Amino acid sequence: MWTTVLVSGITLGCFYTLIAMGFALIFGVTHIFNLAHGELLVLAGYVAYWLWKTLGLSFVYTFPAAILAALLVCLVLQRLFSLLSEPLELNSIVVSFGVAILLQNGMLFFFSGDYRLIRIPALSHGLHLQPFYLSYAQLTLLVLSLLVIMILYLLMRHTYMGKALRATIQDKEAAALAGINVGAMGILAFAIGAVLIGLAGPLYGCIHYLYPTAGLQATLLAITITIFAGIGRIRELILGGWILGLAESFAVVLLGASWREMVSAVMLLLLLAINPQGILGKEER
Amino acid sequence: MTLLFKHYYAIGLLLLTLIWCHLVSAAPASIKIGEINPLSGRLAKQGLEIHQGVEVAVAEINETGGLEGRRVELISRDDQSQPDVAIARAEELCAWKKVLGLTGGYVDSLVGPISEVAKKYKVPYVASASLQKELTQRDNPYFFRVATLQGFVKPLCTIISRHFKPQHLAILHAATPGSTEFARDLESCLESHSVAVELMEKFRPGTPDFTPLIGKLASMDIDVVVSGGFFADHLLLVRQLKENRVCPKAYIGPFGIAYESFIREMGDDANYLFSTCAWNPGITQPGTEKDSKNFVDRFRRMFDREPNTTNMHGYTSTRALLAAMQHVLRQRKPLTGPNIRQALAELNLDLPMERLSFDRHGDPRNYHHVVVQIQKGRLVAVYPSDRATGSAIYPVPSWSQRK
Repeated sequence: MWTTVLVSGITLGCFYTLIAMGFALIFGVTHIFNLAHGELLVLAGYVAYWLWKTLGLSFVYTFPAAILAALLVCLVLQRLFSLLSEPLELNSIVVSFGVAILLQNGMLFFFSGDYRLIRIPALSHGLHLQPFYLSYAQLTLLVLSLLVIMILYLLMRHTYMGKALRATIQDKEAAALAGINVGAMGILAFAIGAVLIGLAGPLYGCIHYLYPTAGLQATLLAITITIFAGIGRIRELILGGWILGLAESFAVVLLGASWREMVSAVMLLLLLAINPQGILGKEER
Repeated sequence: MTLLFKHYYAIGLLLLTLIWCHLVSAAPASIKIGEINPLSGRLAKQGLEIHQGVEVAVAEINETGGLEGRRVELISRDDQSQPDVAIARAEELCAWKKVLGLTGGYVDSLVGPISEVAKKYKVPYVASASLQKELTQRDNPYFFRVATLQGFVKPLCTIISRHFKPQHLAILHAATPGSTEFARDLESCLESHSVAVELMEKFRPGTPDFTPLIGKLASMDIDVVVSGGFFADHLLLVRQLKENRVCPKAYIGPFGIAYESFIREMGDDANYLFSTCAWNPGITQPGTEKDSKNFVDRFRRMFDREPNTTNMHGYTSTRALLAAMQHVLRQRKPLTGPNIRQALAELNLDLPMERLSFDRHGDPRNYHHVVVQIQKGRLVAVYPSDRATGSAIYPVPSWSQRK
């Protein structure tokens, strides 16, 4: 049982990481606190569901369409947020809350309040790796989240664009003085964030389920993981996701299912009290 | 001449106005009833379903001439799945819109606050979907409901203890008042029938991963699982049971499984799941087949789809309220809150879902579910035997044995 719990904790952590990545990147670069993140993710999931269900498109091919839809909405949102004045964090919370409600009601109108599930029969099978069983759904999550994190890491570390993004995350004014177009970095962050949302959305519909207000839960998760990892820290996101996933999974077995959320909340509070910079964060001097 | 014409013109206009005023005042005023449901937010799906049932009941009465010739006007409000909004909407309907009765409502956390406002304004409230015992024990004479927890517990307790006879039974329930009470009542009933509950676990509705819990079930060799979660929880739990190749002899989900939409979303994996159902187009109270068919036909005409048990709960509660109002009018009494309340307390109405009469607490006396199993994508009533339309398949085939 313990290996099953371990595997499920890690895959749950991967799922959390995938949900949080877009939010973390956008917030890190632009300081826009996008409360509509979860709704965008669910919208991408609905696009995939619609293509899969009504047009019979293979699940794999729904990803480009979901990415495109997320990209369109995210760029419109970026324009909207660019009109906001300081304090940006606070104003973006208010505006994105309104956008979230708008998207929720839009999805309720177009897709109804029914729960939707993208059923991929192949994912319900798996591998018997003694002493545990790894379903293809878990394997997909594991591989995809690691792959995305790796690509994002390479992008941020080894390309000029990534270095510019990191510089903007660290200090906007200094980056601007160094000749980096901070405004363009904001658009770029939204674009990359949209790609990540477009990847996570269809998976959300496949691993979890879709309904118009599911976004709230996803947004809260994204905020928690981002705080856990530390603002602007992409690599630590997966570590944060894993720690939360493992803590929740072991809490279910050791303490009972009702303790699951309590354990993650206590861990988050402890982390904020001990090291507010995130799991591996160091205090800036 | 012009002056004379002007005078005639003014007098004519005055006469016309007087005639119009007389006609308007002579026309019977419509009867306003209020409905509060979660039409948006996390409970929007269920709220919209209740709302549709309410609309069918109102359309039905208006098509047959209304209540003693008076048209029924339905004022619908959305509580956004939030108790504070539910209170504000109830205040608006009772204090400002002056409705004569309230109906609708889904889950106790929303129904409870509405019932308190109804009590304050002496407006009878017939709730469509509420289960928590405490709500009918608060000494609120204006609160009635068409469902009760015992309607779920009794048939499940009997089928599990007499027919399934599990070695290791688990009850999982959502962290909501209704589901928690259901789990406790079922546990005590089963224990009184010498069936031990090996595992009792509470989880938050909308939990993103059940795998650790499934690991626990497998390690304890649980053979029958009763899950008091809701529609979405079953979607995830059943799918993850399959992914982890864990197949109990029976999986019973009293809330949220006996729905066409659930079967559609789950596909073949929905087969062999057990649930309970108060009504379904194919499962109705004996003797109410014609009424049931009329409801189904009207519903299809209005919404272009098959109705389900939640729709029927909305319809039943509204029918109860309208029947009580009709009774008051026929007795030539004024249509006041206390009179309607009295008529509800004395109500005896044969409806497709139940023979509706209320006890002194406002709970329905004859709300009985049937145990159903999904077989080949269809709901089959398997218990009690007098209402069964097929036999239960127990133990269910393992995942690998299924096509």
